[in-house]
Amino acid sequence: MSKRAAHGGPLGGRHERPDARAKVAGSTRYVADLALPGMLHAALAVSPVPSARVARLELAAARALDGVEAVLTAGDIPGKNQVGVVFLDQPLLVEDRVRMVGDRLALVAARTPEAAWQAARLVQPLLEALPGVHDPVAALKPGAPSVHEGGNLVRTFRVVRGDVARESARAHVVVEAEYHIGGQEHAYLEPQGCLAIPEGRERITIITSCQCPFYVQQAVARVLGIPLAAVRVEQAPTGGGFGGKEDYASEPAACAAVLAFATGKPVRLVLPRELDMQASTKRHAVVVRHRWGADRDGRLRFAEVDTVMDAGAYIGLSTVVAERANVSSIGPYHVPVVRVATHVAYTNNLFGGAFRGFGAPQVTWAAEATMDKLARQLGMDPLELRRRNVLDDRRRRTSTGQLLPRPVLARECLDRAATLAGWDEFHARPRAGSAAAREGMGIGLVLYGCNLHHGGQRLDRSSAVVILQADGSVVVRVGLTEMGQGNLAAAQTIAAQALGVDPAVVQVWQPDTTTVGDSGPTVASRGAHMSGLAILDAVRRLRTRLDPVAAELLGCRAGEVELAGGFAFVRGEPERTVPVARVAAEMAARRIEGIATGWHRTKARRFDPETGTGAPYEFYAMACHIARVKVDADLGLVRVEEVSAAQDVGRVIHRDALEGQIQGGIVQGMGWAISEELKLDRGRLANPSFTDYTIPTAADAPKVKITVMESEGATGPFGAKGVGEPSLIPTPAAVRNAVCDALGVEIDRLPLTPPTVVAALGERHPFAWLLSERRVDDHERLATFDRDG
Amino acid sequence: MAERVTVSLTLNGERRTFEVPPGRRLLDLLRDDAGLIGTKEGCGAGECGACTVLLDGSPVTSCLVLAASADGHDVVTVEGLASAGRLHPFQEALVTRGGVQCGFCTPGIAVTGVAILAHREADPSEQARLLSGNLCRCTGYTKVIEALQTVTGMENE
Repeated sequence: MSKRAAHGGPLGGRHERPDARAKVAGSTRYVADLALPGMLHAALAVSPVPSARVARLELAAARALDGVEAVLTAGDIPGKNQVGVVFLDQPLLVEDRVRMVGDRLALVAARTPEAAWQAARLVQPLLEALPGVHDPVAALKPGAPSVHEGGNLVRTFRVVRGDVARESARAHVVVEAEYHIGGQEHAYLEPQGCLAIPEGRERITIITSCQCPFYVQQAVARVLGIPLAAVRVEQAPTGGGFGGKEDYASEPAACAAVLAFATGKPVRLVLPRELDMQASTKRHAVVVRHRWGADRDGRLRFAEVDTVMDAGAYIGLSTVVAERANVSSIGPYHVPVVRVATHVAYTNNLFGGAFRGFGAPQVTWAAEATMDKLARQLGMDPLELRRRNVLDDRRRRTSTGQLLPRPVLARECLDRAATLAGWDEFHARPRAGSAAAREGMGIGLVLYGCNLHHGGQRLDRSSAVVILQADGSVVVRVGLTEMGQGNLAAAQTIAAQALGVDPAVVQVWQPDTTTVGDSGPTVASRGAHMSGLAILDAVRRLRTRLDPVAAELLGCRAGEVELAGGFAFVRGEPERTVPVARVAAEMAARRIEGIATGWHRTKARRFDPETGTGAPYEFYAMACHIARVKVDADLGLVRVEEVSAAQDVGRVIHRDALEGQIQGGIVQGMGWAISEELKLDRGRLANPSFTDYTIPTAADAPKVKITVMESEGATGPFGAKGVGEPSLIPTPAAVRNAVCDALGVEIDRLPLTPPTVVAALGERHPFAWLLSERRVDDHERLATFDRDG
Repeated sequence: MAERVTVSLTLNGERRTFEVPPGRRLLDLLRDDAGLIGTKEGCGAGECGACTVLLDGSPVTSCLVLAASADGHDVVTVEGLASAGRLHPFQEALVTRGGVQCGFCTPGIAVTGVAILAHREADPSEQARLLSGNLCRCTGYTKVIEALQTVTGMENE
């Protein structure tokens, strides 16, 4: 029995992650590492243009290539030619109309990957160009080319509370701003991939890198025209997701499935990086307009927000992302009057989708920028302005009118992060003044609604299976996925804690749609929460059979049995013990069922989609990040020196996994804030590589300081709250505010690349005369971050 | 039958010979011909570092090395870092310090980290600079550098 287990169990500890040892040895098999005899390799022929009518597809050259076994087009799909989660507006293969670069025209299967991709390049489409639209604001104007029938406005979401005109009169300062916020590429290190294994034309197994095997199951069943039960989807070890493998992973899987049914052979598809970046979903680019007012004391009186989101050519998850952005627009602030409109617009750009934060990072960036502008106009410390406006235990009604449960830790997050960052000391000492290294500090604060929004609550349920083996070891299956964030470790910890055994005894296996129930996608920081509550339910049911056997061995009543440290013991008499493994052996010997299922669904909530008021989320997490930056004002280069994070996590489940989420979230957020720019040239991604799309390296990573706050009252397993997304959302805002603090200018554009920073300095830049519009690109080339330091 | 070239190399300490097409990448020789799938392909363009191996002791991205050019040389992959069935101390430190998340970049990071340690580089910011050819999207690098520092500390004791 381990010491830790003897004293309260593994919860909150740092025991080894169960997946770490195999991964570090290189023995974990991802999709690209799986092969079967006779397996074919798939490739995709895609559109090079964003808007066109397909006159003809010339396939003869592709079919004639040595090694090619199938070249398929839309007419070859046995079921419905449709993908998409919310709206079925996207074909798997284009029939007549191209709406974005990367739209699939044909599928190829060949005996080698080289032959497959060469054949894909030999597919010659005859395309008649159509007018396209590439700006979401322009897309909503009358006369804009329509991407789909029925116009480009997909939907508008609103929050309406109170009378803006009345409160406008009471405001002493008003900030009006228009923020242009760019998208982001997920840049998971493992490209999208899957392996499809057919059994005749009756059934199929898909092994895939994904965040939601159940979405993949639905998409494959639809394109093949077979029942859900005939599709078995197993999640392979997944090399990063961040939202990019939530819905999009269904598309490569559907392609491989169609090819596997057509050829009768296993088919593997792994996207080359360039195509993966070009064709997969992105964090949405948005334009956010603000009009916020505060009184003389800095108390917010009203906030108006109008956001236009670029959905791209297909809806994907855009309306769901917009739903979250809409209710996240005000942040953790008390505002008497709120008016938010969030519009979703079709364009012929790459399509937006899920990305860690799901619409909240963009609107949080805008809200926190406006808070700093208000502070500057009032001549007030930005920290103090936030302290005066944050929700707390007395004032706990959110911008949608939802009453938060106590404790509301916004002020504690602010104060703890400020202490960690040395906010007061930084502002007391004189700043480094040279142009080459101007220092600044900025705050970002988020109130994050955990789990799915009211609009998606039909998906907010989860399933678990717990099997007690005859030797006392335990199998756990959950419907939520591991993609690096630590869900295996979280599920293992929770199961071990509940069964009173060492975590090493518990083996958590990745989900498979034939072994566990549909648990929805692993998103919205819901993985550990939903896995954990389903596991606890399964353990509760298992104990209805385990406890009586233990009680018999212990000579007590079943109601007196407790489990801890690998033993069952009599409550109040810890010396009367029997090992859990002995109980398991006894159950096996007596042929008592050692398997139990568990289920959890979130509580139903009231929310009015018309006015955007009510309870969009079951509960919330809070996080504050404070960034300290150095800016080279000549070059416009931003260096994030340090980020201090304070986060309300409810209860720590696995401390290393938690810290890893915060550290990784901060660096991913920082990349979006300063260096990751999706350069779209009429809908085509002009920088689809890691040389031209620069994610942070080890040399760019700031020092990260963390303080986590545990609190009572959350409904998660042992009181835990989601951590994956609150770890990222405040950083970009904090970095923006720090840069503006350093330079004394307002920057309303993300990312803060050198040209953007230099342009914001305007006439104040030492080489302003050089920086005509025409020269900005040259300047950028010279000033891009040097990978080698 | 297409043209083939003979590649004889020391692979994880063992003398091996392969017949491969002249254009074959070292990455493909390792994964497809030698069955060493620990070396990953993340970009195929030498940008991400997931395919890093040691070529005569120096880290290289094996997606940019022709298999034929490894003829007569010494190659070590992530599978070759362990000795006598025990992980390299840096691999062990990545596990115990929580430096592993999705794991796809991890083999490349393990290989580069071992090279950094072999060069006796002890300064954490210099270690971070040397590791900057290995992209990681999960960890934010903090625990990876902590793992390097753990081994550096052990060696200095």
